[in-house]
Amino acid sequence: MSALNLVLKDTDAILEIDQPGSKVNVLNAETMAELSAILDELEKKAGAGLKTLVITSKKKGIFIAGADIKEIEVIDSSERAAGLAREGQEIFNRLAALDLVTVAAINGVCMGGGFELALACRHRVASFSDKVKIGLPEVNLGIMPGWGGTQRLPRLAGLMRALNMIMSSQIISGKDALKAGVVDRLFPEDALVEGAAEYAGQLAAGTAGEKRKPKRGLFQVFLEDTLPGRSLMFAQAEKNAYKKTKGFYPAPLKALEVIKGTYGGPLEEGLLAERLGFGELAVTEVSRNLIKVFFLSEKFKKYPWVEKGTETARIKKCAVAGAGIMGGGIAQLISSRDIPVRLKDINYDALKQALKTAAGIFKSALKRRKLDKYQIEYKMGLISPTITYQGFKNSDLVVEAVVEDLGIKRKVFEELEKNTRPDTVIVSNTSSLTIEKIGENAANKERIAGLHFFNPVNRMPLVEVIRTEHTSAKTLATVVDFSRRLGKTVIVVKDVPGFLVNRILVSYLNEAAFLIEEGMAMDKIDSIACAFGMPMGPIELIDEVGVDVGCKVAKILETAYGERMRVSAVLDGIKKKGLLGKKAKKGFYLYSGSGKTPNPEIYGLAGIPAKKHISDETALKRLIYGMINESARCLEENVAESPQVVDIGMIMGAGFPPFRGGVWRYAESVGLASIVEDLRALEKEFGSARFAPSAYLIKAAEEQGKPV
Amino acid sequence: MGRMAIVDGIRTPFVKAGTLFEDIPAQKLGAICVRELLERTSLDPELVDEVILGSVCQPPDAPNIARVVSLYSGIPQSKRAYTVNRNCASGLEAVTSACEKIETGSDEIVIAGGTESMSSIPLLFGKEITKTLMRLGKARSFFEKLHILSGIRPSHLKPVPALALGLTDPVCGLNMGATAENLAKEFAISRREQDEMALQSHAKALAARMKLREEIVPVMTGTGFKTLVEDDNGPRENQSLESLARLRPYFDRVSGSVTIGNSCQITDGACGLLVMREEKAKAMGYEPLGYIRAFAYAGLDPARMGLGPAYVIPAALKKAGLALKDMDLVEINEAFASQVIASLKMLDSRKFAEEHLFAPETVGGIDTAKLNVNGSGISLGHPVGATGSRLILGTLNEMRRRNSKFSIVSLCVGGGQGGAVVLER
Repeated sequence: MSALNLVLKDTDAILEIDQPGSKVNVLNAETMAELSAILDELEKKAGAGLKTLVITSKKKGIFIAGADIKEIEVIDSSERAAGLAREGQEIFNRLAALDLVTVAAINGVCMGGGFELALACRHRVASFSDKVKIGLPEVNLGIMPGWGGTQRLPRLAGLMRALNMIMSSQIISGKDALKAGVVDRLFPEDALVEGAAEYAGQLAAGTAGEKRKPKRGLFQVFLEDTLPGRSLMFAQAEKNAYKKTKGFYPAPLKALEVIKGTYGGPLEEGLLAERLGFGELAVTEVSRNLIKVFFLSEKFKKYPWVEKGTETARIKKCAVAGAGIMGGGIAQLISSRDIPVRLKDINYDALKQALKTAAGIFKSALKRRKLDKYQIEYKMGLISPTITYQGFKNSDLVVEAVVEDLGIKRKVFEELEKNTRPDTVIVSNTSSLTIEKIGENAANKERIAGLHFFNPVNRMPLVEVIRTEHTSAKTLATVVDFSRRLGKTVIVVKDVPGFLVNRILVSYLNEAAFLIEEGMAMDKIDSIACAFGMPMGPIELIDEVGVDVGCKVAKILETAYGERMRVSAVLDGIKKKGLLGKKAKKGFYLYSGSGKTPNPEIYGLAGIPAKKHISDETALKRLIYGMINESARCLEENVAESPQVVDIGMIMGAGFPPFRGGVWRYAESVGLASIVEDLRALEKEFGSARFAPSAYLIKAAEEQGKPV
Repeated sequence: MGRMAIVDGIRTPFVKAGTLFEDIPAQKLGAICVRELLERTSLDPELVDEVILGSVCQPPDAPNIARVVSLYSGIPQSKRAYTVNRNCASGLEAVTSACEKIETGSDEIVIAGGTESMSSIPLLFGKEITKTLMRLGKARSFFEKLHILSGIRPSHLKPVPALALGLTDPVCGLNMGATAENLAKEFAISRREQDEMALQSHAKALAARMKLREEIVPVMTGTGFKTLVEDDNGPRENQSLESLARLRPYFDRVSGSVTIGNSCQITDGACGLLVMREEKAKAMGYEPLGYIRAFAYAGLDPARMGLGPAYVIPAALKKAGLALKDMDLVEINEAFASQVIASLKMLDSRKFAEEHLFAPETVGGIDTAKLNVNGSGISLGHPVGATGSRLILGTLNEMRRRNSKFSIVSLCVGGGQGGAVVLER
């Protein structure tokens, strides 16, 4: 079976792409070889009466999803990678050189290598469908376009658009593509191929009329068409890329270097620079890890957490109890998905703040042109505020998001039981208490589960769904399904204090506090963590979360896990002093304007001894290995069912650097045995249980050591 | 066939135009009510067959405002909605239309109500400039455009307030206030009589403030949603006869007696009611607020439109098979004090009974203790699309508090009509 099917009719040809046995089309080695053979045929026919070629896909909503990442993943040298790129470039060069009117008819997702194929056609058209998504997202995988994208896109759509699409993975719709001059025409979805063929015929006959040029403002013309404009734009792009990647991700800068070095030059030279750049990137550890993470996130988007065929309840309306930062954020998220939500608090002040925050989030979506003003009016109106339980009876799913206090949560759960239908699913957004304890007095525990969002709710891609012993399969399936409707990646974890992500994270935050206790400077600790790739240092993070909140969670975990989760005295001391963090403008740091400085009060707090020297390396090990050790315990206790769950959870829930591949993958790359060794040394030095390597880690280290 | 039940209802605070709600369009006010009603009654939106709303000045950006409100409230797209306009009685018409729809079997469950943002009624450009601009749009050459533009005169650019147009009767050419002046003169109603009614209206509304909260959904608005509006802001504290007396007559500056103090306020507000048959309501486990026993509309001289209640009350009572004395509460919406007083006089007039009703006895006098007991248009305001629904909601709530049997609510209608509904519990 072949993926390509060439249909010839008189002077016109249609090339249909339809990868057998797959939902999507990808350009793997086999397909590229087929394309090469078809080009042989077309080259001959081009001189013998054939005039037009339309390339399209038979898959609904998908043109070509890109090159086959699995083939990139296994490349072991940059020469081979560059060679592979060259083969593709040559095939696309032949496509571009065909003496035919070539039109790519883009009917859906058109990414990476797929878009580069379309770029090698003389013309592109697309359908009106929302499924049309065009882009070059290679940098997300730590690589860059290698089949001519860095050359043909700037020529077609201008530098500015090309830089946005290549360096920042900007994905554009069909409408945007028309504006940008990337496609010439849009046709109704069902008439795309006919439309494309007719257009090709008109082009061949010279009756097609003028081609649309991209609309450019005066400033854009200056930036793109003048030398000083271009250098300004390149400098700005470089600055932005540094800011965004913090130097951890080489791909966008490499792509920029290639475009900057080849723009305006001959195509052949450009393609050479492109494939060399691609070759360099393809073998980096960063790219390998990003590709792993990509596969991981694709896997967990659809991961079957419940048995296939389990019944799910349809959630038509929700209610949220508690309009604090989390409750308000959850209500905004629900409304943004066009689901009506009733938001309750005990007073109007919290509701006012929640509405204000929600309106702010919608407004920024308007600014980024993700939503238009009509959508915002509608979605915002779906949040209905109240101070009573009226409206909970007709809710299909209720989220409890009141303060993190067992007594209060229990009371709210009792009220929820009274004020909801017997079939309403009740979930708690607790971050550290167990669902079992919160719902202890509930009459029906089958409909209770945990649904833990991360702050900020609208931006953090992960939720932890917690299944208790009593949670029914239907409840679990409903909550998983609902979370995915909210656009979140789900991990299902066991009902233990802190669940997975916070449990691991707290061990890290606690360790940072211990480092302060021992005399290390807080900004030093933060910069060590940031240099590792964490989006924010641990001390900054505590301030951001709020010292009171962080302390409460840490205390709950100390109670649950004992000595190894003992809360650092610094944390307690600072809380007692009322230094509550960023929200109070005073915490570990002092905040003024947009800047912050370490709060000198802190060092005086816990009777900090004369500064002991702790090397950066040791500090980092203590921070990160603590997380690794706690991850191992979670795996041991089956809180997470596999190391992959830990990796995706920590990347999406706690911002663990994706280019490191995840907590567990990072541990494996360091070598589990050496981690165990270091932990033992630390245990000896501090005499603290928190460094004792877990049985799971020791066993895994032994297994890793064995020859496979 | 069973009675039509008003299962429950809710309204926004009634807020003086140009104040707290000036940035909330009518469709949002309506949606706040309809959504809150769904929440309070725990009604599955899929069960709502139709939303019928009264609205007099529909916002240009929300034609068929009932449909917009319906979708904003989370009612499925497959459901129906339409807007009714019987001018000042639109909110009443929405409810009676719902009854008729249910009666004929077209609908089973209806949300009826009304919404009006009188803050949002636009200024209009005149016909001349509108025509010019339309021609300009069609013009092809530059010179043709220039020629058309040269025809614009400064006078063309003066905007016309649509509100003023709407309040002027297009048949008799009189402003609503002028029709109220007509009645004051015809019935020799003194300025003092009118001002006293206004004073009473404010006093009653203020006294009822806590009771009215039962029918009001609080609204958060303003920058950062910082302002919580829980009450109507029309009722004036410390209103006195002296301060009312100081106001100049507005519609007849020289010899008139109708002032803005003894006229209704221009107001933003919305109201929603859940309507279905009694059996249906009971089967769904609802304890309805009350029932519609009968309703009627009547037409009369546009220049004396304020007498609408006098014409329509006997008609509605007749359909209900009841007499005015059976009514525990009577609402005659205060569009103008003079118009309410004139209607009361008419109802108690033998001449009127003989000439218009062909009846030997008067319809009856109304004890002022039963009339507009919690304030009315002068104090609470009159958002024209919503008032009719408010009358039903407020009266049913008051009947519940007093455990009364029958009541009647009525309004005068610009253009020369009256509308009335007999309620029972």
